[in-house]
Amino acid sequence: MEKRYWNPYFGGVVLGTMLFLTFAIASQGFGASGTFSRATAQLLVESDKSWMGNAYVASYFRRGLNALDNWTVMETIGIFLGGFISALLAGRLMIKPDRAPGYPLMKRFLWAFLGGAVVMFATRLARGCTSGQGLDGMATFSVGAWIFMFAAFAGALILSPLFRKQWVVENEDEGGEA
Amino acid sequence: MMDFILPLYSNGFLSPEGNLFFAITMGFAFGFILERTGFTRAQMIADTFYFKNIAVPKIMGVTIITATTWFILFAWMGWIDLHALFTPKTYVWPYLVGGLLFGLGMVMAGYCPGTAVAGLGTGKSDALVFLLGLFAGALGYFLLYPFVKDFASSGDLGVLKLHDLFGGNEYTSYILTIALETGIILFLMLLQKLTNKGEK
Repeated sequence: MEKRYWNPYFGGVVLGTMLFLTFAIASQGFGASGTFSRATAQLLVESDKSWMGNAYVASYFRRGLNALDNWTVMETIGIFLGGFISALLAGRLMIKPDRAPGYPLMKRFLWAFLGGAVVMFATRLARGCTSGQGLDGMATFSVGAWIFMFAAFAGALILSPLFRKQWVVENEDEGGEA
Repeated sequence: MMDFILPLYSNGFLSPEGNLFFAITMGFAFGFILERTGFTRAQMIADTFYFKNIAVPKIMGVTIITATTWFILFAWMGWIDLHALFTPKTYVWPYLVGGLLFGLGMVMAGYCPGTAVAGLGTGKSDALVFLLGLFAGALGYFLLYPFVKDFASSGDLGVLKLHDLFGGNEYTSYILTIALETGIILFLMLLQKLTNKGEK
């Protein structure tokens, strides 16, 4: 039996309290994008030491030999486990892609992959994603976080018509899909 | 100068190892909440941009209102040093361009890095593909870094808070933040009503 999703206002109060606790204990907030940037750097350096000549990659190894020895990396492992346990308890654990009914799977995967690449490039410029920049920055009153969030929302809105077919089902046929 | 207890880590009340254990714990809570609120569904994030469902900005707005309210209360009681909280610096131009690109990626994929990690935990195969895309994007950035390096640090304003722009102190920033977040939620609710007129 699948449980219902939380009310958004309730979810916000719980998440906001968790964000506060995280800052109050660890002195920093949530993050995610840095983990994958570090993992990429670690993989590259392990396969070819000459990557240390790249200033950006090298910046991850200032404190030691392992780019993954980092708070946000551990936190990201927690995010994965939290998502898993929550879905398990809610009866929502299922291996499947998320897409509008009838949207071709290969196209869905293509957009997910390209979207991922664009998102990561963007987070390197912006020094964080919707967590590390958006939530943490807005919670600490940073002006930059607001610039980033407004730009992100604007970018998504301006380009949303191009991806409408992927997300919006037009003229839903009554009783079409069981 | 008053002695603060919070944040625990920067005041030496928590060992680095303890802090790493705590990282997993708080990450777990974060992932759990992302799943419970529906954030792990690409469709829900994408729905935001077609004004079909605005739960995402609602949750984010209430999250910020709640977190900042705790901060201000604790700072007022003299329990937390707000200056010790890690705050990202402001780089105007790369944040503007990075934000626009981020928006493009988000409407393409329906995920951001955090929701995709939790989404992978729930079994979403497209979240896995998105995460592989993140590796490709990082590789692309490393390769292009010599060319984008100067742009990436342009418009450097250092750590800049809302009250540095408008005057006042943390309380000013707090009031501005509450007003902005509430205003955005109400505005989006209005837009949702207008765009979905006639639809169910």
